[in-house]
Amino acid sequence: MRRFKLDGLKLGALLWAAGLALPFALDSSWVSIAAFFAIYAITALSEDVILGRAGMFDMGHAVYFGIGAYVTAILNTTLNVPILLTLPLAMLLAAAAGALLSAPLIRLRGDYLLVATIGFNAIFVLAMQNNPGGITGGSDGITGIGVPSLFGLQLESQSAMFWLDWALLGLVLLVMRNLDTCEFGRALRYLKQDELAASTLGVDARKVKTLAFALGAALAGLAGTLFAVQLSTVSPSSFVFTESVTLFAIVIVGGQGSIPGVLLGTALMFVVPQIFRSLAEYRYFVFGIAMIAVMVLRPQGLLPRKRSAA
Amino acid sequence: MSALLELDGVGISFGGLRAVDDLSFTVNEGQIVGLIGPNGAGKTTVFNMITGVYKPGAGAIRWQGNDITGAKPARIATLGLRRTFQTIRLFTEMSVFENVRAGYHLAARQRWWQGLLALPAQRGEEAELAARTHDILRRLDLESVADAPATALPYGVQRRVELARTLAGQPKLIILDEPAAGLNDAESAALNDTIFMIRETGVTILLVEHDMNVVMQVSDHIVVINFGRKIAEGNAVSIRADPAVIEAYLGREDDEAAAA
Repeated sequence: MRRFKLDGLKLGALLWAAGLALPFALDSSWVSIAAFFAIYAITALSEDVILGRAGMFDMGHAVYFGIGAYVTAILNTTLNVPILLTLPLAMLLAAAAGALLSAPLIRLRGDYLLVATIGFNAIFVLAMQNNPGGITGGSDGITGIGVPSLFGLQLESQSAMFWLDWALLGLVLLVMRNLDTCEFGRALRYLKQDELAASTLGVDARKVKTLAFALGAALAGLAGTLFAVQLSTVSPSSFVFTESVTLFAIVIVGGQGSIPGVLLGTALMFVVPQIFRSLAEYRYFVFGIAMIAVMVLRPQGLLPRKRSAA
Repeated sequence: MSALLELDGVGISFGGLRAVDDLSFTVNEGQIVGLIGPNGAGKTTVFNMITGVYKPGAGAIRWQGNDITGAKPARIATLGLRRTFQTIRLFTEMSVFENVRAGYHLAARQRWWQGLLALPAQRGEEAELAARTHDILRRLDLESVADAPATALPYGVQRRVELARTLAGQPKLIILDEPAAGLNDAESAALNDTIFMIRETGVTILLVEHDMNVVMQVSDHIVVINFGRKIAEGNAVSIRADPAVIEAYLGREDDEAAAA
């Protein structure tokens, strides 16, 4: 068991390193798809913190992704704040939103929480469309977001942006892995599996769950910044309820609390549709059927989490 | 011998029904106290009030002289008061090791961000707590099943896993809610030994059982309740001879006459 875990980590590191070479092997439209994969993988992993690890039915996760994207877009286009400086702010504001929105809901049972988070998503999209204070650009959103620069180097090319996304995905993967082997990450699993038993062992449910929401939202905010940069524009349509549903489905179909599962789920939901673009709308039909099949035949997900030993 | 836990006139009602009424008793340090009573007497309700699952409607619960009435379960746990459940509550998707390691939650000093960054101090603490978990597993003869999925094991073994998880928190007092339920005779006898072994390590025990034999054999002091009220208190010998206890367990003679 111990040896397998090490091998899993090594395999992951190898795949990640191999991924760095993608821009040399692919044309730029495929590099852009790879960049979107990295961005959505971070978003799906962030949803996994809340849904897969802590077991809280967050059906409004696109909100935090959107907050990150809007923070970067607004700060960069109106105040000319460099992109990479907006990134920590995007994470912080998303985290604050996650903690504040979840605070009154944390005691709610799964189904009630789910409905409440759908409400958040609806309000967020509506608010962005209404252009409060003239800063969100209404339905058209915000355009003309700059490119990030690192050590005076403009990361202008699609390849450079891909490497930035890929590097940050690598960091997020490390954090997710560490979450598996730290007390905070375990406390989330205790709460998910039996909240009463967990609380009698001293797990402070309110604190741990709020922290999970904040961490999940922060990582989604990070992905939001990358998303804004990749598209150089943000608009409310990217953060609608169906995006939240997709993120939710990725975690459930891929495997809750399983890093390879969530990555596979992201690839199936975002990359494979690009390959089958010729099928046009039929691909959604295929995916609908595939999702149903997975839930019936493999309810624990495609690559479920493994029990870890010592 | 000082009082560890005191219940003083504790009561609670559910929908107008008085489940526990004016209940007072004391658990002294180092004792094994048995709380018994017929099915439905309110034993588990008493436990739920002590451990913060229910908030008492009346009276006070004191821990080493401090009022802890209505404190939340997570706060109760920090005092060194731990419990098992009548229906075993193991974490179903975890191994035996992971379940017992959960008992050390409060022993972990690491902050969440130290964990996410896997800082050396955090890694060191993880290694230390893993070693301590293995110690407990060995003590309760569970080392051979450490990697097994906890809920795939026989009932008696699952009870031991839950007990190991409870002891992992280095509690001052553990509350065992019907630990003999579902055990066969051999497992039940082994349980008595385990209870004495736990007491040897300096842990005080409050035991709920409706199986009189277990309670009579291990308890220093016995509290008997029926319909939520205390009807007797004393050692095994005096309890066995107490007319109110006999009546509660066997029924009153004129009841039977009336039934007939």
